[in-house]
Amino acid sequence: MFKAMLIKEFILVLRDKHALAALFIMPAIFILIMSLALKETFDSERALLKYAVVDLDQSAQSAKIRTFLAENRVMQERPVTIVDDADCKMALSGDLHFVLTIPKGFAENYALEEPVGDLLLLSAAADVRPEMLTLFKSEVVTSVMQLRFEKMKAELSPFLPDVAISQLEALDFNGEDIVKVRFDAMQADEKPTSTQQSVPSWIVFGMFFIIIPMSTIFINERRQNTLMRLSAMNISVPALFAGKIVPYIVINQIQVWLMIVVGIFIVPLFGADALTLGDSLAGLVLVSLGLSLAAVGTSILIAVTAATVEQATTVGGIINILLGAIGGIMVPKFYMPQAMQEFANLSPMSWGLEGFLDILLRGLGPEAVITEFLALAGFGAGLLLVAGIVFSHKIRRGI
Amino acid sequence: MISIKNLIKRYDDLLALDHLDLEVGKGVIFGLLGPNGAGKTTLVSILNGLTSFQEGEIEVFGLPLSKEITAIRQRTAFIPQSLALYENLSVIENLRFFAGIQKITGATLRHNLDYAISVNRLQPMLEQKAATLSGGQKRRLNIAIGLLNNPELLYFDEPTVGIDPDGRNEILETIRSFKNDAKTVIYTSHYMPEIEKICDEVAIIDRGRIIRQGLLETLLQEERADSVVIELLHADETQLLGLAQRYEDVEVINAVTLVMHRQNSAKMGMLLNALEAESVAIKQISYGTTNLEALFIRLTSSGVSDV
Repeated sequence: MFKAMLIKEFILVLRDKHALAALFIMPAIFILIMSLALKETFDSERALLKYAVVDLDQSAQSAKIRTFLAENRVMQERPVTIVDDADCKMALSGDLHFVLTIPKGFAENYALEEPVGDLLLLSAAADVRPEMLTLFKSEVVTSVMQLRFEKMKAELSPFLPDVAISQLEALDFNGEDIVKVRFDAMQADEKPTSTQQSVPSWIVFGMFFIIIPMSTIFINERRQNTLMRLSAMNISVPALFAGKIVPYIVINQIQVWLMIVVGIFIVPLFGADALTLGDSLAGLVLVSLGLSLAAVGTSILIAVTAATVEQATTVGGIINILLGAIGGIMVPKFYMPQAMQEFANLSPMSWGLEGFLDILLRGLGPEAVITEFLALAGFGAGLLLVAGIVFSHKIRRGI
Repeated sequence: MISIKNLIKRYDDLLALDHLDLEVGKGVIFGLLGPNGAGKTTLVSILNGLTSFQEGEIEVFGLPLSKEITAIRQRTAFIPQSLALYENLSVIENLRFFAGIQKITGATLRHNLDYAISVNRLQPMLEQKAATLSGGQKRRLNIAIGLLNNPELLYFDEPTVGIDPDGRNEILETIRSFKNDAKTVIYTSHYMPEIEKICDEVAIIDRGRIIRQGLLETLLQEERADSVVIELLHADETQLLGLAQRYEDVEVINAVTLVMHRQNSAKMGMLLNALEAESVAIKQISYGTTNLEALFIRLTSSGVSDV
């Protein structure tokens, strides 16, 4: 019996081009478009300090300074052409915080005990806060110190035994070895990339779009008295619901993994960052199952209560967009004011998104998403229960 | 086969079935007639366990309906008026789905599928999507689905609605053929000629009660020669009601139909003169209730509008 219902539901969805577009193509396109559209925004938002470099020396050493600074994720070099002071002022009046000038002769000057003239010149924007200046300045100083250390090591190497050299190498600059930073959930410098944000968001959004095919099929079944016929064939309401729940959970899972494939393999082809999966496959499965239950529960309740297909697709579409807007799908939650972020927690889409971000962004395990899973599963089960009561009542009234 | 005693069904304040009694024997094609709102659909829904009832006793196959509905359903089929099938599935996919959910498998499935397909002449269109079938073909598929559990008792709710005369005749022949397979059929329809063509027995239901039941031929014989139906071309109902008050045994059925009970030539002559005096043109006079339609009109006060 169950197999027959499963096969029937799959065939009906597979033959419904609009449903396929809503379930698979729409979220894939959203993922692609939003990953590309928000790439610059996300990249620049991650960088707290924006700067330009005027490299008048054009030496290997000046290039190393630039590389060192670029490796810092909170800083971003902007390609700005600065020829004179006027250009510099203009750049700093925009969104640049600093302009670092590397004078000609830096390569010869940087290791001298007393450098000739200014070794480096740092221009700061008027609104730069002292802590930002301190941070940037210390990064620049560290980069010069590293250059000096490398030079010293190179000069001393011929005269030192291997043991001493290895000890010197152990002193090499590596901030990660000295201070291990553990980021709390979405610290300011650990916001998701556009792909890491877009893929989970539009997976969640797309999963709830099963409202359209499910309600269309269900209402047509009701309208044509197919459900009445099924009841007359001894199909109970729980069996009828199970025949809907399982196929759409499977469809949801196909959506999730297809969108992940899009994030990993297709999005990078267009120049955006590839999606990186966390270490917890179980966590991903748990979140996506919870989301499926929530989406299926919402869909069945709408299908049961709506009088017509038009009503179901309109109401379903509006609910989907509202849940998405509230839940941080369309506007990431970290852009929202605190009050709105708390309001966002009312949306099951937000629970699902947080679960995905826990796995995909924060690298957490399944234990971290149990709360989200239980909330989503509970939400879905609650709606299914209400739908069951409403539908049983309707059946008794003659559907 | 079916025994109903003192059945009462209320929808809030509306009494849909009012102490209804009905007996249907095995192997008959049984017509259930009645105007809209008479209670036909409610009765069929109750018999299929789709609607509850407040009072009364129902037995199907000698089993109490309220306790043995699951067992009863395994031996019955309900063919609804609407096309209760999946337009986006092919004919064979529809049949396999409805067989699957009834857990019909193996040799039984093959046998029942063959029977449903051959009786309804669906073989040439098995792979065709239901959406692409003609109205008659869809109706046949609708019936075929009902045959998948090889039922002993079939309920048909207006199965020929919206199809052409050829298609209708094909379906009627199919239903008639069930008699040869010892199946019992409960057939509700508004088309009196259909009932006359295929049914052995008829029950006329009005306002929730069976007002006449019996073999079709017997019913017509009993009513024959007892009344005259006068069909008018056009008239004013108020005008007709005025006439009826003047003549005993004359009943106004609607704006264009009068029935005279216990007629005799003298009274008939007077009535026809009165109609002529009122300039009411006569379309047809039928002596005796010669067909089911006339019987139906006579027995139900609002009959014609539903015919």
